[in-house]
Amino acid sequence: MENKSKAKELKDDFWKSKKLLVTTGKIADDIQEDSSESKGPTLKPSVTDLREWDMKLLERYTPFYAPFCDMCCLCTYGKCDLTGGKKGACGIDIEAQQARFVLLACCIGSAAHSGHARHLLEYLIEKKGENFPIDMGTNIDIEAPIMRVVMGKKPKTLGDLKDALDYLEEQMMHLLSACHTGQEGKSIDFESKALHAGLMDNLGKEIGDLAQIAALNMPKGEDAPLVELGMGTIDKEKPVVLCIGHNVAPGAGIVDYLEDQELEDDVEVCGICCAALDITRYNPGAKVVGPISKQLKFVRSGVADVVVVDEQCVRTDVLEEARKNQACVIATTDKICLGLPDLTDEDADKIVKQLVNDEIEGALILDPDKVGEVATRVALKISKDREALKKLPDLQEIQEMAKECNECGWCVRVCPNNQPMMEAVTSAVEGDFSKFQELYENDVCYTCGRCEQECEVNLPLISMLTKVGEHYTKDEKFNVRAGRGPVQDVEIRKVGAPIVLGDIPGVIAFVGCTNYPEGGEDVAKMAEEFLERNYIVVTSGCGAMSIGEYRDQEGNTLYERYSGDFDAKGLVNVGSCVSNAHIPGACIKIANIFAKKPLEGNFEEIADYILNRVGACGVAWGAYSQKAAAIATGINRWGIPVVVGPHGTKYRRLFLGRTDQPEKWKINDLRVGEVIDGEPAPEHLLYAAENREEATVVIAKLCIRPNDTSKGRQIKLNHYLDLHKKYFGTLPDDVVKFVRTEKDIPITYKKEVLKLLEEVGWEPRALPQEPSLMKFREEKASDKGDSK
Amino acid sequence: MNERVTPWQPTVIAGPKQALLVTPETAEMMIVKAKRPLMVVGPLINDNPAQVLVSKIAEKWNIPIVSTGDAFKSLTEAGVPSKSYGLVEIVNLLKDPEWKGVSGEGNHDLVLFIGVIYYMGSQGLSTLKHFAPHLKTLTLCKFFHSNADASFPNMKDEEWLKYLEKLAKID
Ligand code: SF4
Ligand code: SF4
Ligand code: SF4
Repeated sequence: MENKSKAKELKDDFWKSKKLLVTTGKIADDIQEDSSESKGPTLKPSVTDLREWDMKLLERYTPFYAPFCDMCCLCTYGKCDLTGGKKGACGIDIEAQQARFVLLACCIGSAAHSGHARHLLEYLIEKKGENFPIDMGTNIDIEAPIMRVVMGKKPKTLGDLKDALDYLEEQMMHLLSACHTGQEGKSIDFESKALHAGLMDNLGKEIGDLAQIAALNMPKGEDAPLVELGMGTIDKEKPVVLCIGHNVAPGAGIVDYLEDQELEDDVEVCGICCAALDITRYNPGAKVVGPISKQLKFVRSGVADVVVVDEQCVRTDVLEEARKNQACVIATTDKICLGLPDLTDEDADKIVKQLVNDEIEGALILDPDKVGEVATRVALKISKDREALKKLPDLQEIQEMAKECNECGWCVRVCPNNQPMMEAVTSAVEGDFSKFQELYENDVCYTCGRCEQECEVNLPLISMLTKVGEHYTKDEKFNVRAGRGPVQDVEIRKVGAPIVLGDIPGVIAFVGCTNYPEGGEDVAKMAEEFLERNYIVVTSGCGAMSIGEYRDQEGNTLYERYSGDFDAKGLVNVGSCVSNAHIPGACIKIANIFAKKPLEGNFEEIADYILNRVGACGVAWGAYSQKAAAIATGINRWGIPVVVGPHGTKYRRLFLGRTDQPEKWKINDLRVGEVIDGEPAPEHLLYAAENREEATVVIAKLCIRPNDTSKGRQIKLNHYLDLHKKYFGTLPDDVVKFVRTEKDIPITYKKEVLKLLEEVGWEPRALPQEPSLMKFREEKASDKGDSK
Repeated sequence: MNERVTPWQPTVIAGPKQALLVTPETAEMMIVKAKRPLMVVGPLINDNPAQVLVSKIAEKWNIPIVSTGDAFKSLTEAGVPSKSYGLVEIVNLLKDPEWKGVSGEGNHDLVLFIGVIYYMGSQGLSTLKHFAPHLKTLTLCKFFHSNADASFPNMKDEEWLKYLEKLAKID
């Protein structure tokens, strides 16, 4: 494989800042080594070890439940009706049942990431050996911030990552076991376990991403190139291999085979979902079709000759859909076997022959290198014949088909977003395809296919939509910055102080899937709004692709307009779902590098630091999966708030603060040893907004932290007030809660805010010096004494 | 008839407890009986002909309005006063019997919903169905909401506006 990472150039300020740390005596560098003296209290935390911290969070951010189902059908006593305060036959109530479901979702999500990490690690160890070094280059010393905190260890080799996975798998088993009937009984304890599952999710992702970055030589935090994105970037004249899912191994196998055989220019390799992003981290020549919302329409389009599926977020009917246009399917992991024969040990020639001659529907091949060979050879062989196939109806046929519609309206009712599919069909009868086109663009219709399933007259609605889209949208060509992996320590040295003091108003991470209420453009517009306002914007996965699919009036994508630096106005794509680990990772590094908090076994102190000082906010606008549930819950445990879109309420649980209860916002000022009045910052830990306008304002507010200096608070409030004015027309009433002294008031709004303050009889209050939810040092010391 | 009381998005059906189908007359009786009603207005009402009827209904019975999403802006521009909350925030407050309500006089005993995104509204109504026995919910959208205590049926615009007009009419 070609080494595509650029030679590492040490930035000028790197040694300077390092020296600065050295001269201040206690240095971050001390912590890099695996010294046993400085380990904190929660090394390899068990299910209950961080319960006290969880309770602190849950006391302030009380779980809010929105049951998705009134009943429970988990065991044969059921179904049990849990309405009206009734308990199930096992004694569980509706709150605990919701929380159990959340735990289950977090376990599934976390297991998906960690199962993926386990596969990847074993494959890479087999390829490179246990002793293959984890070297993140000279600009990164803290290569695995989450692992350092949780495991208390610096992983030096691929083999070292196994310890962390072993620990994680044990925890996951206990957590899943708690979901059994007759185990945990209180919602609050289910939540603490869900938070633990979230932490395991974060750890699993870090293991997975670190392994692939190190062993496959993916970018190590340096600026990554722009790669092609969009259905229109795929050269349909060539044989096309499409990878769907999240595991880079089969895709890397294909890329390697093409390189070995010098076929790179003869075959198109492209992907959907995170597999696509990760293949481009391995080889920027690969193309990204787009996020998960493209899946059904791209498979239906028939452009792909071979569809290679690995794991997570793959349509479970992919085989049936691919067969509709005689594409071949290769399944590549034990997660998705699709009923196909296991040909892993079969001779490649024979598999190719069977697939080309249609003797088998597809194949299960659990060896990524063999997948590379078979997928390529099959694509080369069948592509010519497939050209003659008619894969989609033409416009005239669509017009004819549309006449069958009896206007029952059920396509609209069953659509998760009630998109006007019927209108698209009835307009097509008149030869007007614009309504189909409106659904097609920006994935306003995310091709879930529910309407088609419902249609009484069996109209192939997705094929119709795809054809119209294909016909009118010739230039769906965009770009996305390839995932760069972690944030470099050098960057943290530069931005740590401005973030903690508030000069950089916040770090906002747009992550997650495409269950958007109104298409992908909302995500890009939010990102644009915050980039223009000097925030650091981080992204990953399908969110990163949605951002790339938007062009401004001048025709530029946000990746073209903004640099990939982790700095104000930077738009950083960390990579795939597993790369999300670098987002809490960056916050942890701020606590360590900037504030010199020791990492090892020190979860609570780090999370407390992040909660009170690091103005970061996650946004999962289209979160749909159990993985997204686990990611968000894990992020929450680190003290980082998350905003989800309206569909996020279907996760059944949010963590909401109550601004009308001032006692909930009291904080311990550890420096002065006093409990002082705080403010609702951050106000919520997991919040669902109804539309983009509301979300934008909430995100700005959720970046406020007790630790902001007056200057920082002014900057943050200025954005909050601006945005509130823009989307709500007025200043927000609650601004009074965030003004501690007059110096906190943004100059532009001074007069108006002073008036509001006067109306509520506002009194100034002290700025905390070391805001915290942790106990005062003396209390801690006496606790220790007691336990002795 | 069934058509009208199958939840608008049919899969929000949560279990055995379903909303009561109401006419404008029954809705009116519920409002008249309530001591401290509240109206929650969502962003689907922005630029909608129903907006003016919503304001008339609120005026007729002196019902305070909470706006969700970004509905505040469009209501304010139409001269309709409201207090802005996130949908999940207001539901979270409503489920607490100790909460003092938007006017500080005590929690509300009847909450009318209109214009909230359907499936999200359905989730909020589910919260209140399970955790707020101290209040009743009534939905005035053109969609049947099975998670409410009482709901208008699924209707086309024309019929729906007539329902709202009836409710807004000063006798
Ligand atoms: S787990 Fe409990 S609530 Fe669920 S079906 Fe069994 S007895 Fe009923
Ligand atoms: S495919 Fe799904 S999102 Fe698209 S219109 Fe049909 S139901 Fe709605
Ligand atoms: S479900 Fe089919 S028949 Fe009914 S309105 Fe939609 S397209 Fe027409």
